[in-house]
Amino acid sequence: MLKIEHLSKRYGDTLAVNDLDFEVKPGVVTGFLGPNGSGKSTTMRVIIGLDRPTSGRATINGTTYGHFKAPLHEVGALLDAKALDPARSARNHLRVLARANRIPFKRVDEVLEFVGVASVADKKVGGFSLGMSQRLGIAGALLGDPGILLFDEPVNGLDPEGIRWIREFFRSLAKEGRTVFVSSHLMSEMAVSADQIIVIGRGKFITSGTVDELTSTATGTIFVRSSDPAKLGQVLRDANGVVEPLHDAGLSVAGLTTNQVGDAAFNASIRVYELTPQRASLEDVFMDLTADSLEYGHKVTEVPS
Amino acid sequence: MSATPTLLDTTRSEWLKFRTVRASFIGVATFFVLTIGLAALITLVIKSNWSQRSAIDKLAFDPVTTSLVGVFFAEFAVGVMGARFVTSEYASGSIRTTLAAVPRRVHLVIAKLIVLFITFVVLSEIVVFAAFELGQAIYKSGHIPFATLSNSTDLRAVIFAGFYLTLLTMVGFGLGLILRTTSTTISIYVTLLLIVPIIVAFLPSSWQNDISKYLPSNLGRSMMSPDLASQSFSWGISTILLTLYTAVIVGAGTFLLTRRDA
Repeated sequence: MLKIEHLSKRYGDTLAVNDLDFEVKPGVVTGFLGPNGSGKSTTMRVIIGLDRPTSGRATINGTTYGHFKAPLHEVGALLDAKALDPARSARNHLRVLARANRIPFKRVDEVLEFVGVASVADKKVGGFSLGMSQRLGIAGALLGDPGILLFDEPVNGLDPEGIRWIREFFRSLAKEGRTVFVSSHLMSEMAVSADQIIVIGRGKFITSGTVDELTSTATGTIFVRSSDPAKLGQVLRDANGVVEPLHDAGLSVAGLTTNQVGDAAFNASIRVYELTPQRASLEDVFMDLTADSLEYGHKVTEVPS
Repeated sequence: MSATPTLLDTTRSEWLKFRTVRASFIGVATFFVLTIGLAALITLVIKSNWSQRSAIDKLAFDPVTTSLVGVFFAEFAVGVMGARFVTSEYASGSIRTTLAAVPRRVHLVIAKLIVLFITFVVLSEIVVFAAFELGQAIYKSGHIPFATLSNSTDLRAVIFAGFYLTLLTMVGFGLGLILRTTSTTISIYVTLLLIVPIIVAFLPSSWQNDISKYLPSNLGRSMMSPDLASQSFSWGISTILLTLYTAVIVGAGTFLLTRRDA
């Protein structure tokens, strides 16, 4: 069990992480979602003891990372795939890590095989593509067969096949009862790969839940196509709906139920051809939730001339 | 689950790290070529113009120190290797991978120190004995007074020339821990060994005598010369002082490593 306990981290004037407090449970893939600069990487760095928290702590089964003598058996982490000595071969890179944690070299060959870089194991990692480095990083995370796995933006640099592979891989790790904690700034990625999602913005906790829970809390809109969109629009506005005209005689309606829209159209003698509730996508929810907390938001919508 | 890793495991991991990059071998080769090559060059030059020397010059001739002159160039090679043993990890970012695998940071520094100390005490002694023997063979062939290791003072000078280089490797490493980038570390290291003595030379001579004997390069000179210059510490005191400097620098670097975010 991974626990973040009232964790804050300040770098100079910047409060990168602000009183985060949550648990990551085993057996599921937990997504850690937030815009760039929201504190995801900082949180991960504190978890594996690279950075010291300003206050609070992160514990793994009740212990802070710094107390582990053979941490690779407890936590496998891939934070920065390029954090390697470029002059060393992939096999030697893993052997160095294995040696320090009393892991037999046989295991190094196993994980190299598993992630599919065995054929280039004796090549210098400096020549690896980002995708290959990611795979090598995953091999490093698996070395000690740990119960907790952390991945910071793991799909970066992977090709579509690699992304597919990694999603299935996360699922299988979770199915084995491991804790899998994956960060991403891509909500679309989290929607398909994570069971549980924790959303942060500007270092602060925003919300958490399953993908379904997060999307159902958001107010969905209704799409309605009718014989007289202009008139229907007026009628719905009078019924306190928020109406936005769309292409092809359609309207997007918020603030009303499908029944209310249907009844209003019937009473005004407007024929309805289509009436569809639109489920909010995780993307919409995410944009909604983090709109106020974008560290590097787009302030201008047009390119200044 | 496997047994708890010991200091020996961490040390073996660091040794593996040291010997699995080509830069280590290039560095060691440079170290050998500088020390032994310069010994050959200088002693051959001395041999070729020995006949033109004055009687006083011949009397003041020191066959030991002249054969070990390469040490003053090799000290830069070992300092850079010591520094790079940690700064290259900061340059590539692999320090984070290292610290994730070995979160006990003091433990990590000790393992690195063991690797550096054993490797460089062995290499340095090989190098200085080779330089000494080569130089003496050249002197002998030119019928110039030469030294032998059967003289205990000369033996001590050679052994401590190697130990001087070993300590300087650790100084480079300690500065690397403090400064974290290779270029800054090398600048400070060169300043310490080369620039500071030049500045001191411009001070009033009464100050000079007090200050210059404390300089690392002069401590090294005392450690590796058979005779004692009048303004220097003895070889014993010099060794203790330089060991102390090294301990302070490495200690400060270790303290900073345990405090800082990686």
